[in-house]
Amino acid sequence: MSAELLPPDSLTLDATEVVLSAGLAVDDGHPRELDRIFYDTFDGLLHAEGLALVHEEGRLVLLDGPTGGERAVLAAPRPNAPLSPSTLAPGPLRDALCDVCGIRVLLALVQVHSRVRPMRVLDDERKTVVRIRLEEPELISNGADTMLRPRVRLGAVRGYDNELERVVGALESELGFKVADQPLVDEAVRAAGGVPGGVQSKLKIALRPDQRSDEAASGVLLRLLEVIEANLDGTLADIDSEFLHDLRVSVRRSRAVQRELKRVFPPDELARFRAEFKWLQQATGDARDLDVYLLEFDEYQAMVPESMRGDLEPLRGVLRERREGAHQEMVQALRSERAANLFAEWRTFLDGLVSMPAVERPDAARPIAEVAGRRIRKVYKRMVKMGKAIEPAGPAEDYHELRKKGKELRYLLELFATPLYPEDVVKPMIKTLKSLQDVLGRHQDREVQTATVRALADEVASLREGPRALMAMGVLVERLGEDEQAARSAFAERFEAFASKDQRQVVKETFA
Amino acid sequence: MTKVLATYNIKGGVGKTSAAVNLGYLAARDGFQTLLWDLDPQGASTYLFRIKPKVRGGTRKLVGLKREVASVIKGTDHEGLDLLPADFSYRHMDLALDRFKRPTRRLGRVLDPIREEYDFVFLDCPPSISLVSESVFEAADALLVPIIPATLSSRTFDQLEELAEDRKDLEVFAFFSMVDTSRRLHRQVMANVRDMHRVAMLGAAIPSSEEIEWMGVERTVVAEIAPGSLPALAYEALWLDIKRRLGRPEPARATTLRARS
Repeated sequence: MSAELLPPDSLTLDATEVVLSAGLAVDDGHPRELDRIFYDTFDGLLHAEGLALVHEEGRLVLLDGPTGGERAVLAAPRPNAPLSPSTLAPGPLRDALCDVCGIRVLLALVQVHSRVRPMRVLDDERKTVVRIRLEEPELISNGADTMLRPRVRLGAVRGYDNELERVVGALESELGFKVADQPLVDEAVRAAGGVPGGVQSKLKIALRPDQRSDEAASGVLLRLLEVIEANLDGTLADIDSEFLHDLRVSVRRSRAVQRELKRVFPPDELARFRAEFKWLQQATGDARDLDVYLLEFDEYQAMVPESMRGDLEPLRGVLRERREGAHQEMVQALRSERAANLFAEWRTFLDGLVSMPAVERPDAARPIAEVAGRRIRKVYKRMVKMGKAIEPAGPAEDYHELRKKGKELRYLLELFATPLYPEDVVKPMIKTLKSLQDVLGRHQDREVQTATVRALADEVASLREGPRALMAMGVLVERLGEDEQAARSAFAERFEAFASKDQRQVVKETFA
Repeated sequence: MTKVLATYNIKGGVGKTSAAVNLGYLAARDGFQTLLWDLDPQGASTYLFRIKPKVRGGTRKLVGLKREVASVIKGTDHEGLDLLPADFSYRHMDLALDRFKRPTRRLGRVLDPIREEYDFVFLDCPPSISLVSESVFEAADALLVPIIPATLSSRTFDQLEELAEDRKDLEVFAFFSMVDTSRRLHRQVMANVRDMHRVAMLGAAIPSSEEIEWMGVERTVVAEIAPGSLPALAYEALWLDIKRRLGRPEPARATTLRARS
């Protein structure tokens, strides 16, 4: 158990020390300097879990954000590059970080330098029952360093939680201390001009049902552009694969809005931007596909018999090489003038959208709830029709087309229905749609993966361990095919739920 | 893997508590998560750490596994060293253990839930031969047996040999304690220690010293009362030897999970 308190504003660290030693604690008398660097993922996954990771005095420490208590510790040198949790020495710290961060890496957020002074509270046997750390922190940044508020950290010695509560109570009620309203790391991030919790790729946009459709669309698209731009540096620097993924999701969502709400835009300009976004999507496609192959490679290995798993390694090598090439090409595209112009012009275009002449934009001034609702109904109906026409043994293309439509519907629901329509309709609808899309996605992925593995056969065959790898790849192709079939068999049931009579009725009534 | 080390001797006043407390302190100082269980109802090591000799629910709840052991552990003033305190009811531990089917396995079972958390557990045992000591032999990986050279009889070592023979998985380390090198008898006994079959004689000897006696007054470890003193160095040497013999020179992983927030 531990707690973090802030002394009353009027109290300096030295005065705090005097106050504490007068009534409560003994001074340990060894003030020291402490340098700390805090870490989190780009999107603040640790923060979201109420955690913080810090490097101090040769250790990485996972802290409980609100109380500053230590959850797990690992002796480690200061990371000098983005830190991938999976590369840490095995143990509770690595496990906890991998659990929370998944494939995301940890980036340095802020550096804090502190003057700290340890003190102790003793009981009547002169036994230490509470450890206190007085701290005067300072944000270290390239510009001017900023003093942060002094804080007092109290840690109970094991088995003496009651004493800690008593001391915290006394500090609050008798001396005007307050429980810290935010962890040190958040205060430091704010002082550095940042926002605690990192950059979110999730959208939360408030829309009004009667809002003009062009205004609503540009609001959503500007936010999507923000996400694209926020993830650009991380994508270029190849920090982790989620940057590119989030960037691409936002591009795809932007394209869905362009297509579904096309009547709020001037047609000529829209056509030009749609072409450019398509280019952007394609320019990043190979790199993402290869990222996915590598992320899922362990899964592929698990699909073949244990004795063959090692034989697949040459394939991994080839995929890695290809991925490097694709990434370089993508970086070139994203660094190009074409891309820079696209982002700049798209922003200017969206900023000016509402004031453009309405002649060729019939939906521009209509309420967004009506326009989006109509599209949702249309796309849903279209999907029902497409899905009904699918034969179990029909071409893979049919499944793929349905999946593409499904993505369109999902983005409409997430971007527009969520803020505009009743949650008890939208949420379950997204859920059944997702469950359908999972099956369609698996089907499509397996189809493409089979083709890719086949296409790489020649290259792998020419390697030293090639022949063994080819045999394992043969087994893999077979397994991928089986899984594709399994996805097909699961389709009917999922589609039935999606296109049920009740669901159709709900869509008709809600999005009328 | 947690190593359980028990300081044991059938006799009292030979330096068991002093060894447990000082070695436990050194283990924690090395970065090992360490627990000391003061099994002696007299509670000498509990007293040395200034902790109240009280376990909620007493012996019965503890060995009956009705009281979560983690909830009665107390932190000492030394980082990384915790104490499972003594309780006066431990004087009836024999009776409490005897109620169970496999009484000698009980102490080990009490420790099971916290094994993950500690690298070393020291058991500070009461003198005697009883069900408690049988349980200690069962729970421990190694016995640390302090022996005063003056009281050494061939029978002491014979008994240890016998004990070690009976329990192949138990290592038995003996060491000289309360040694007074100005006494000819001590020097003679130490010079004549014969090689034993199963009992290892540790190299370091703990001198009889004022610093160790002061522990009871200062209520802390020798390394804090008189750092660099002869007894402080002797415990260092003893600990080094024990670690070497257990094949554990460094903390297995300098990682700890603190499940308390």
